[in-house]
Amino acid sequence: MKYINQVTRVTLWEYRRFYKPKNELLGIVIMLMVSAASFFITRYAMSDSGEKHKLTVVYGTDSQLIGMLTANFEIDSVSVTQQEAAISKIAQNKDGILLLSNESGFAIQAYKKSKKTKLLIELLNNYSRSMAMQEAGITQKTMNLIEAPANVTESFIYTDNSRSRSIMAVFFAGLMIMAVFLSFAYQFTAITGEKQLKITEQIVSAISPQVWMDGKIFGISLTGISSMLTYSLLGIIGGIIYFQFTGLPVSNIMNFLHLPSILLYLPFALTGILIWNAILAAIASVITDPNNSGKSSLMMLPVLFVLSSFFVTRDPDSNLAVFLSWFPLTSASAMPMRWALTEVGFMQMAGSYILLLVTFYLLRKLAAKIFRVSILISGKEPSWREIYKLSKES
Amino acid sequence: MNVQAVSNISFSLEEGDIFAFLGPNGAGKTTTLRLLLNIIKADSGEITWNVNGSGGALPQPENIGYLPEERGLYLDIPVIRSLVYLASIRGMDPSKARISAMEWLERLDLAGRAQEKLQALSKGNQQKIQFVASILHKPKFAILDEPFSGLDPVNQEKFIDYIKEINKQGTTILLSAHQMSLVEKIANKVFLINAGQQVYNGSLSGIYDAFGKKQVIDLLFKSAMDESVFQKLSDVESINKADDNRMILTFRQDTDMNKALSELAEIEGISSITSHKPDLHEIFLQLVKTHKQ
Repeated sequence: MKYINQVTRVTLWEYRRFYKPKNELLGIVIMLMVSAASFFITRYAMSDSGEKHKLTVVYGTDSQLIGMLTANFEIDSVSVTQQEAAISKIAQNKDGILLLSNESGFAIQAYKKSKKTKLLIELLNNYSRSMAMQEAGITQKTMNLIEAPANVTESFIYTDNSRSRSIMAVFFAGLMIMAVFLSFAYQFTAITGEKQLKITEQIVSAISPQVWMDGKIFGISLTGISSMLTYSLLGIIGGIIYFQFTGLPVSNIMNFLHLPSILLYLPFALTGILIWNAILAAIASVITDPNNSGKSSLMMLPVLFVLSSFFVTRDPDSNLAVFLSWFPLTSASAMPMRWALTEVGFMQMAGSYILLLVTFYLLRKLAAKIFRVSILISGKEPSWREIYKLSKES
Repeated sequence: MNVQAVSNISFSLEEGDIFAFLGPNGAGKTTTLRLLLNIIKADSGEITWNVNGSGGALPQPENIGYLPEERGLYLDIPVIRSLVYLASIRGMDPSKARISAMEWLERLDLAGRAQEKLQALSKGNQQKIQFVASILHKPKFAILDEPFSGLDPVNQEKFIDYIKEINKQGTTILLSAHQMSLVEKIANKVFLINAGQQVYNGSLSGIYDAFGKKQVIDLLFKSAMDESVFQKLSDVESINKADDNRMILTFRQDTDMNKALSELAEIEGISSITSHKPDLHEIFLQLVKTHKQ
């Protein structure tokens, strides 16, 4: 009971210390404002002014081609002898394009590569295709038929690998990465910062390293999860607004909220977050100065493992997929993905989850031990070898 | 590199003691205190506790208070929140901790700054907060490592009173400090450690009885003097050159002072001569010096 009380106190302390809803909302508002501003600025920059671009062609250019170009270009025709003068004009004005055509193809002369030259090439491609179709005697209708995909009616006996379940699996894996990334920064401040501020000695004289470590893991996981929920909620609201503006019913978003999937994915994702927080806490415990420590890069490990679980989507029944769905560092995201894509027995899921829980139990013990050992070494950052040696001795 | 920080020491505290744990820098004081609190483990030896009648292992955190030598509190958090948190993880009810913390802050003239972040306070005021954090939960036993560090003389005297007060209220105190003049005002027992080894363990009066009967002569000269001049004097135990023109001589116990003074009279250039019994500071220096030899 005393352990639970102490862990609760440390958990709440860490949570209140780092989770600042006001700051979070302010950050989101600023982010939305910046995104909106970027969207409008980019749109304005990319927008077409409606002004036609200047294009010079040589007398005798196919009238059908000129017809296709007039919608976008202001066309001026010159004789072959005036080509050089046209090029000089382009160089002088730093504007305009000269188009030459012969039997083998086209030549473009412009001051520099730009949106205009890109557009011209697109139009020339369309013209060439249309000429080839005419030569081969193919009508547009026939061309459409050639390009149309096969008309296939899909029918499956196992129908539970619905799109909504797959989307939810990827969504939860994404949220897990997000929560772990948010925790990454907090663990550094909470543990490394506390070591730098010399608070640890005061704290571990009152509570055991295990209580301290568990409080940190739970408190910071809770902080990451809270941020994750804030962003999820924002995503759902954003989705509803999007559907509202696009004239689609709000129920579209509800189709993706597949309740049985959520009930399965949530415990896996939460335990995964706890596991990664235990690992991050252990790494942070041995870092004295985050700016100069080679161990800081180990904080990228979660991304590597979570991303590797996406191999499951290639073939959810392969040996690799089965391994990833059992291996505790990948199973939190790989098992839900497998479950979404193929048939997975209840015992398999339960076994994988129990293994995940046992791994968390052991990792938090290991993290506390590493922390206890790392405070024995003062003045320098301990090497993994020293930590291993001292852990064995303690 | 393996260093033996502490070796073969033994001491005990009784309820109500103010036990001064003294030693020069690097003597092994902080290591011993960390061993007591189970922050680090000794290779061999035994530490037993009997607080509130429960013997054996380290007492419950509510019975222990610790002011570490390496100060540290949450700089970016309001003072009152840190105090309440630290008391609560030692088992104190948070609401009671808040009331008690505010009372202490009133006494330390810091009540108005309770909601300020610790980083906004001066070093001396941060030290006061650190002290409050270690005794707020009214422990039965408090370890105070350098409690006077960073305090001005006025506040040092105040802290003497606070330590006496909490001791009277039932807190046994183990005190590690370098300010001998302050220590001798409050301690009843003294333990001296040097280079990881025990040099003295006993009562404060006992250390005076054992080492305080010697005579200390403080000599002031008109010009700079060399130590070698005094080495020919009989019965001189130690020569301490306090300054270029100031020498402090410690004579052995039972020295014939008439003889000693007549020998001193032969030395030219003395502008002032005073004598006194050695204080704790001088005994400390003497014992450390003798132990090194």
